[in-house]
Amino acid sequence: MPDTTAHPTPGAPPADVPAGAREIPTLAVEDVTVRFGGIVALDAVSFSVAPRSIHALIGPNGAGKSTCFNAVTGIYRPTSGRVTLGDAVLTDTPPHQVARLGVGRAFQNLALVAGSSVLDNVMLGRYSLTSGGFLSYGLRLPRTMRAERRHEERAAEICDFLGIGAHLHRPAGVLSYGDQKRVDIARALAVEPTVLLLDEPAAGMNASETAELAHLIRDISTGLSISILLVEHDMGLVMGIADRVTVLDFGRLIADDTPAVVQKDPAVIRAYLGSVEEESA
Amino acid sequence: MSETTRAEATGPTAGATGVDAAETDSAAPDGQGGMPAVHPRRDRRRWLLWGALVVVLFLVPIYLPGQYLIVSTWVMTGAVGAMGLTMLIGQAGQLSLAHSFFLLVGGVSYTVLSSDGTDGFVGLGLPTALSLVLAVAISAAVGAAFAPVSGRLTGIYLGVASLSLVFLGWWLARVLPSIAGSTSSGRYADDLNLFGFDFGEKSPTLAILGVPIGQNERLFWLYAALTLIAYFVARGAVDGRVGRAWRAVRDNEAAATVMGVSVVRQKSVAFAVSSAYAGLAGVMVVWWYDGLLKPDEAVDSGTYSTAVAIAYLAMVVIGGLGSLGGAIVGAAVVFGTPLIIPLLSQGDSSAVLSSGGTAFSPVVITYLAYGALIVLIVLFEPGGLAALGRRLTARLKRS
Amino acid sequence: MSTFVQVLLNGTGRGAIYALLALGFVVIYKSTEVINFAHGSLALFGGYIVFALKPTLGWLGAAVCGVLAAAALAVLIERVLLARAKLASQDSLAILTIGVDILILTEITRRLGTASAPFLGDPYQDVRLRFLGATIEGPELFALLTAIVLIGGFFVAFRFSTWGLTMRAQSENKEAAALMGIRSWRVTASAWALGGALAAIAILFIATLPVAGGAGLTAAHTIAFAAFPAAILGGLTSPGGAVVGGLVVGLAESSASQYIDNDFAKVAVYLVMLVVLVARPSGLFGKVEQVRV
Repeated sequence: MPDTTAHPTPGAPPADVPAGAREIPTLAVEDVTVRFGGIVALDAVSFSVAPRSIHALIGPNGAGKSTCFNAVTGIYRPTSGRVTLGDAVLTDTPPHQVARLGVGRAFQNLALVAGSSVLDNVMLGRYSLTSGGFLSYGLRLPRTMRAERRHEERAAEICDFLGIGAHLHRPAGVLSYGDQKRVDIARALAVEPTVLLLDEPAAGMNASETAELAHLIRDISTGLSISILLVEHDMGLVMGIADRVTVLDFGRLIADDTPAVVQKDPAVIRAYLGSVEEESA
Repeated sequence: MSETTRAEATGPTAGATGVDAAETDSAAPDGQGGMPAVHPRRDRRRWLLWGALVVVLFLVPIYLPGQYLIVSTWVMTGAVGAMGLTMLIGQAGQLSLAHSFFLLVGGVSYTVLSSDGTDGFVGLGLPTALSLVLAVAISAAVGAAFAPVSGRLTGIYLGVASLSLVFLGWWLARVLPSIAGSTSSGRYADDLNLFGFDFGEKSPTLAILGVPIGQNERLFWLYAALTLIAYFVARGAVDGRVGRAWRAVRDNEAAATVMGVSVVRQKSVAFAVSSAYAGLAGVMVVWWYDGLLKPDEAVDSGTYSTAVAIAYLAMVVIGGLGSLGGAIVGAAVVFGTPLIIPLLSQGDSSAVLSSGGTAFSPVVITYLAYGALIVLIVLFEPGGLAALGRRLTARLKRS
Repeated sequence: MSTFVQVLLNGTGRGAIYALLALGFVVIYKSTEVINFAHGSLALFGGYIVFALKPTLGWLGAAVCGVLAAAALAVLIERVLLARAKLASQDSLAILTIGVDILILTEITRRLGTASAPFLGDPYQDVRLRFLGATIEGPELFALLTAIVLIGGFFVAFRFSTWGLTMRAQSENKEAAALMGIRSWRVTASAWALGGALAAIAILFIATLPVAGGAGLTAAHTIAFAAFPAAILGGLTSPGGAVVGGLVVGLAESSASQYIDNDFAKVAVYLVMLVVLVARPSGLFGKVEQVRV
């Protein structure tokens, strides 16, 4: 059983800990290789996300960014190597227990339950922080209902923070794309993560929406003071907000440095220009 | 209006989502946004409504003739079973065609536990109320035991795999007559007896407002209470943590996992819950037949057959996948129609039981009606009658 | 020894019938990703047409009409109902076909009524062949021969003809196939027609005394049900798997009825499928789908 030191005890009222007081562990990807059949999707990749930093993972299509995310969240098991968060080894943890260790993830394709309310969607993020099965909810045990209220209040708080507090009781599916994205991020934050994973948050957004998103990510970073790891295509966004950038190409790490340095790296430029040529061919 | 269409179009499973918008989340009022409070103060009104409903249901047997009570109780067995199935299919996204098997498990368990073991049948002679609870628990356990299969399979593979349980149950019931009774004469189970109140009493001494309270009246009370409890418990669970996990599993297993839900475990929980509901319905079926438990001759027609499994599927599709209220309406359509037609047309009730011949008997009419309803609902109103009802009330409120 | 040969013969004969049904089922699934729960009803419909036309057209004429009618009905179901519900999920479409199945089954059962059971195997129902001390019944023998010819023909066409190519292309990637100029509706319609026709051909052998027993055509729907486990255990996406699945189901059924009893034979089919599915969740030859986030 992995230790959950760096995380508030499940069920405890969240956010009583003032921002910044919580210990934020380092997320370390150590020599991770993921193979599908004969294809090497990730080839001995190592990098680490410093506590409270905004870390971007970029690369051309098929570079292995999503695979890397899936390895961190336990959807894929790496062929070799490991991912750690502080003392906990994520790659040895059953995938559904990774959330409990403090990993929250927003999805590229949103993956919301469209028919359920925003609150209901965000409450899913509280799953590992709550307990109670069919009967305790069915019989509405007072203890369960009290905890439910408390967690709903926290979920509403998170929604307010993300600017979707007005939509709590509307079905998630009827919101604008930008707001759905916020619901997705709110759900990831409801996990009370120490590291937040954002999978292409700017995909499908126009320039002004992307600018808003950049603000939001910065607000999350400063307001909650947690680590953020994001996969992104939009270079402007990445270079504007990231503290550090890791570049993948064909499953291999080709650069890992500050945005300013990475931008000038010839290998990175080659990888991106190469992929542009291939795409237009 | 446009919002509704959008919600349906964006749903990953158009049949299942979009349905539960207002239905699943009790905290969600009718779509008006901008409410700052998480909990609108509607609790008191809701308890008043429940209270009123209980009073009305208590009075129904005193005013409704016996033959209508028989129809109502049959509809309620369907409603309880359908609520279980709609949670499994509509909330957890697990297709099952095995519901009739779990009816059989519930019925057999209750009969074995409560009978005293004379007449060469196996029986443990436990108190009837305890037997009821245990029968439901056993059904849940059997459902959970299907987990190695239900956890591994998805969609249609699971649907057809679950069908094998109906075949297995049919065969087991035939080869074990000392447990399930023989196919020709069956065996009898005891009525429920709660603190000396016999729910199957045929020569009653109790009368209310001059109406003797016999078996029909008592069963109505019992079934109404069981249906209310079943609904109340399901509603709480569906609106809570379990329901959220189910919907997440249904719409995106990977996302559910990342949020901390153990997909395999929740699938098995959903199967167990659905089976428990079917087990309760199975006990209600036995009581409805005056305590007679009788295995089917054929696997595709009879009380616990594939035809019944499909009838339950029809109920939850017609009512709207995932909707508990819809399941009750669906049960009224599928189980109520064949019994109510002869009553309304003043025909003799024997026509109800004979489905053969070339005439349009009530059973034939019902089958045709619900076959057509399934087709029309999937084509035009994937949310079923529940969504239709919501849309109508929304329109009435607006005008 | 002769009992064992008998089991093999019965199993292969019945297996051939199931293979015909399961193959049509798989072809429909490959082209439209619809689980056709109305498959048994397509068969029953074809059989009913044969039964109705036999007195006027004779067996052969009625059989041809029955097969064509079932093919036409299948195309009609696809065009009129399923093509309209493109947005619906795969499970919803499967449920839709259950609705169709209830409609057809109810109406035809009503029409057949309680009159004496119809049989459709006129030319071969009295044929009987001795083989290594065992007997093979006419319907099973003819089913086997027909299945060999038709299934062989199918695989040749599937591999070498333009139709087969378009079919395979579409099941690999619908959008790409459309971009390459493959007309989607023609492929799907031909797949449904083929499925309906094969089902109706199968019924010509099912609605006979040795296969269906005394109930004849009225038992056909139930027997055709066994094509589902056959198709599923073969793996829904594999035509070869459907044939293997059909044979497995046929053999499981014949050995169970020989060594245990007739009732258990119906269950054995499903138990075999359950065991296969637990070991291989997508069937013996089915494609395993990769989860994407």
